[in-house]
Amino acid sequence: MEINATLIINQMLFGLALGAVYILMACGLTIIFGLLDVVNFAHGTFYMLGAFAAFVIVSLFGNFWLGLASAVIVVGLIGWVTETFLIKPLYGKDPLYPLMLTFGFSLAVTDLMRGIFGTIGRIVPLPQIFTGSIMWEGIFIPKYRIFIIFLTLAVLIFLWYFFKKTNLGMIIRAATRDSLMVRTLGIDVPRIWTFGFALGVGLAGLAGAVNSTIQSALPDMGVEITVECFVVVVIGGLGSLGGAILGGLIIGQVISFVSLLASDWSNVAIFITMLLILLVRTRGLFGEAGRL
Amino acid sequence: MTEKEKTSNTRSSNRIVWITLCVFLVIPHIISTPLATEIMIYGLFAMGFNLLLGYTGILSFGHAAYFGVGCYGCGIAVRDFGFSIWEGLLVSIILGILLASIIGAISIKKRGVYFAMISMAVAQMFYFLALSPLKRWTGGEDGLKFIPKLSLQFPFHVDLQSPFPLYYFVYFIVGLSILAIWRILNSPFGRLLQAIRENEERTIASGYNVTMAKFVSLVFSGLFSSLAGGLFFVYLGYGPLQTLFWLTSGTILLMTILGGMHTFIGPVVGVAVFLFAQNKFSWIMERWQLVVGVLFITLILIFPEGIVGTIKSKYLARKTAVQEVEEAE
Amino acid sequence: MKKVSWIVASVFLVTLLVSGVASAKPIAALLFPLSGPFSAMGTDMKQGSELALEEINAKGGVLGQKAEVVMGDDEFQSAIAIRKYKEMVDGQGIKAIGGTLSGGMSVAINEWACKNQVLYMCFCHTSIPLGKEQCGYGFVSGMIPYQTGVATAKYTFQNLGKSWMIITQDYRFGHDEFAAWLNTSEKMGGKFLGNIYSPLGQVDYSAHIPRIAATNPEILVINVYGQSMDALIKQLVEAGLTTKKMKFVIPKSHLYTIKAIGAAYNENFYGGHEYYWTLQDKFPKAKPFVAAYTKKHGIPPSQDSEGGYTGTRALFEAMNAAKTTTDVDKLIKTLKGFKMDYNKGPEEFRACDHMRTTSCVIVRGIGAKASGMNFGEVVAEIPWQETLESCENNKNDVPYGKVKLPGK
Repeated sequence: MEINATLIINQMLFGLALGAVYILMACGLTIIFGLLDVVNFAHGTFYMLGAFAAFVIVSLFGNFWLGLASAVIVVGLIGWVTETFLIKPLYGKDPLYPLMLTFGFSLAVTDLMRGIFGTIGRIVPLPQIFTGSIMWEGIFIPKYRIFIIFLTLAVLIFLWYFFKKTNLGMIIRAATRDSLMVRTLGIDVPRIWTFGFALGVGLAGLAGAVNSTIQSALPDMGVEITVECFVVVVIGGLGSLGGAILGGLIIGQVISFVSLLASDWSNVAIFITMLLILLVRTRGLFGEAGRL
Repeated sequence: MTEKEKTSNTRSSNRIVWITLCVFLVIPHIISTPLATEIMIYGLFAMGFNLLLGYTGILSFGHAAYFGVGCYGCGIAVRDFGFSIWEGLLVSIILGILLASIIGAISIKKRGVYFAMISMAVAQMFYFLALSPLKRWTGGEDGLKFIPKLSLQFPFHVDLQSPFPLYYFVYFIVGLSILAIWRILNSPFGRLLQAIRENEERTIASGYNVTMAKFVSLVFSGLFSSLAGGLFFVYLGYGPLQTLFWLTSGTILLMTILGGMHTFIGPVVGVAVFLFAQNKFSWIMERWQLVVGVLFITLILIFPEGIVGTIKSKYLARKTAVQEVEEAE
Repeated sequence: MKKVSWIVASVFLVTLLVSGVASAKPIAALLFPLSGPFSAMGTDMKQGSELALEEINAKGGVLGQKAEVVMGDDEFQSAIAIRKYKEMVDGQGIKAIGGTLSGGMSVAINEWACKNQVLYMCFCHTSIPLGKEQCGYGFVSGMIPYQTGVATAKYTFQNLGKSWMIITQDYRFGHDEFAAWLNTSEKMGGKFLGNIYSPLGQVDYSAHIPRIAATNPEILVINVYGQSMDALIKQLVEAGLTTKKMKFVIPKSHLYTIKAIGAAYNENFYGGHEYYWTLQDKFPKAKPFVAAYTKKHGIPPSQDSEGGYTGTRALFEAMNAAKTTTDVDKLIKTLKGFKMDYNKGPEEFRACDHMRTTSCVIVRGIGAKASGMNFGEVVAEIPWQETLESCENNKNDVPYGKVKLPGK
């Protein structure tokens, strides 16, 4: 296999599409952590729920866009309920408790889905306009991957606008810094937290729905991606959205190139990357002092 | 707490340790011997794990790494280097110390949740290393095989293929380890760990080297967890890849919480109840993981002190009430 | 209230303790993954075994008594399987164990069975008869992985074309199939155009699609399994490669794979199966099996069901023939060369390496024509003589164990 410019560009584009999904997941994880101080060990589970939501809606109504939108809404609602009944009771206790709870949640829900949907993968069909690929001068990328990249870009722009320009977004940013202060200003902070959790897992659900057309929807599909998300977030620096984005980009490229050059190591490479970055910068790339 | 209360607490947990050791002396004749052996092994694993979680207040989500490294380490030492069982277990201990030191050096200063995530990532890394790149030594997904029949030669011949001799050998090692852990936790060092768990800033302000204490706690924790892994190899005569899998880390956490992470013997009780239920129930139901997950959630929400913890606090509450009544009279 | 809960708890505990003791003495212990990610196939195996158990009991049982068998969940973990087998062997005096879906688990269980002198009937694709794994106590009612590789490769080079490319899942099973293909290709004039290794768990293949399209082989061998296979096929469809001239061969396919892929599993797809239920037309003796299974479970038996059925039935018949359920040496002697004619015509367990002499079926997809329970058409049945190596070769793990895989 000769290494030439076309191959490298192809791999980079592929890494970009891969990284886009990790960015969506990592942003969700970061919002949840930044706002609630909760590390969501069930993040991959919500990703999986998003894929199944898309599968069900697309099977019933045949519309892919409806499927994507409902995945976000359905998973957001499930997140809303989860936070209200399972996580809220744990505030004020040791921060390790919500972490352990989300772990139990992921075990239970994954197995519940195995019981409901079985262990055979479900296919979500791709909409017509996205089938096929764009080929130009040896550079090759499936149209759907381009869609993923642009969708992620749109989501990031939306998040930027939301956090910087809207009232709710600014309240959330303030609550991340100093929730006590925000509370004394008369704002219902617990409600903000619920919203933040729903938004965070909604992003995971979107990622799952987006990936459901590429791989089949399976109850076990969220298991590995949770750890991979953690790696992204640790690399980027826990609590930093910019870090989540950079971390996602890095991991996407690492996986892409290592799969090509040394496939034996492709599962291990992201952990080695994480350890190397931690050795050089113990807080991760954009981690904030004082939070860690 | 008064001096009298402190010593009586120590004495009561002392009593509990001896009771447990006596119970486990006879239990293989009541329940199945393989199950009893596994309860001892995982019990040691859980006690090592709880040194870090219950006593020092640090959650590791990657303790499977110590267990697995201990298991494979002992196995490779016995199979490829001709070590005896005792020497193999020593290898497990040394590897546990080494691994904990490395992980501690990188991440012991980190905040709780960060440490949990990093420990999980490191454990996953070991899993994937054993699965693929290091397959020639570890056997990949087949696990560590081609192990000869195991037996002890020193101080007398013990056939480790038979269930009872195997059980009592494991019992001997685990019993000694539990006594060792008990000594560690009932020393000034042990009280320092609990102080760190209760209020880290205050302990620092009091002039203690908290980072060093945490590091040492991690090393002890890794040591005992790896020893448990080595014993697991001896019990199975084989080294499974699952020992390194994240579900193992999650399961040991669940078993510890189930038993009671703020008690000494809680983890062993949690292991016994969990393995026993798993053995009985998975013969008849398929949704075992769902049950486990729901159990976990219920524990965290309603009974975070676990079985022994809840019993203990009810007992203590009654004892204090009786004392108050006595004092009033 | 508190007293009541103590009483309830004690009753519960006592029941748990005692519940193991009361039942009749079982003669075998069978374990399959009934929970976890492979529960569908594990359940199939169990259902096949249950059918065999019912049949044998309807005909008078084993040694004149109703046969009791313990069937349970190994949770797809070798440690749990070994623990449960230990309990059954040490605690209940059972001398025959069986089951298993995973090849990786089967070799570990086989080694344990040999050390403890217990008969092990393995129902799945396994490497037990090869090289160092062979130790005399294991029997296989499934196949050796290389067999489906050889069968599909032979069929391909005879009927579909010569130039081929392969994507291989980077673990033992994938390597075994790859080795079988390389070896057969050399012997039959195939043209090997390249290999891509895919790490376990990979579900995103878009980086590799351009290479495949550019290489343009006549045949693409899909040597990745589980989620990865579903994902790869989806992505090939997405890239528009599955409706042109390229053919896709899956060394070890499965009823559920075809079902999952649906209409996209068209006439360009060929898969190797140990069993496909439409064979009952060729082997009428299988009709009662297929009918009973379909009636009870609503879908026809898969290859896992068949492996479970055959292994279980053979075990009981051997026990009756040897007039023992606990003398392992006698049972082994009886099973060596034991003749069966259940679902695929006359077969036997080879005396030298205890392998079942069974054929491999090539099933071609039928795309949108799939309806009801019929998802494919059988286009060939490759007899065992063309896929199973001699005992001498298996003992030395040649030729496939010695094939040099590129990049390894």
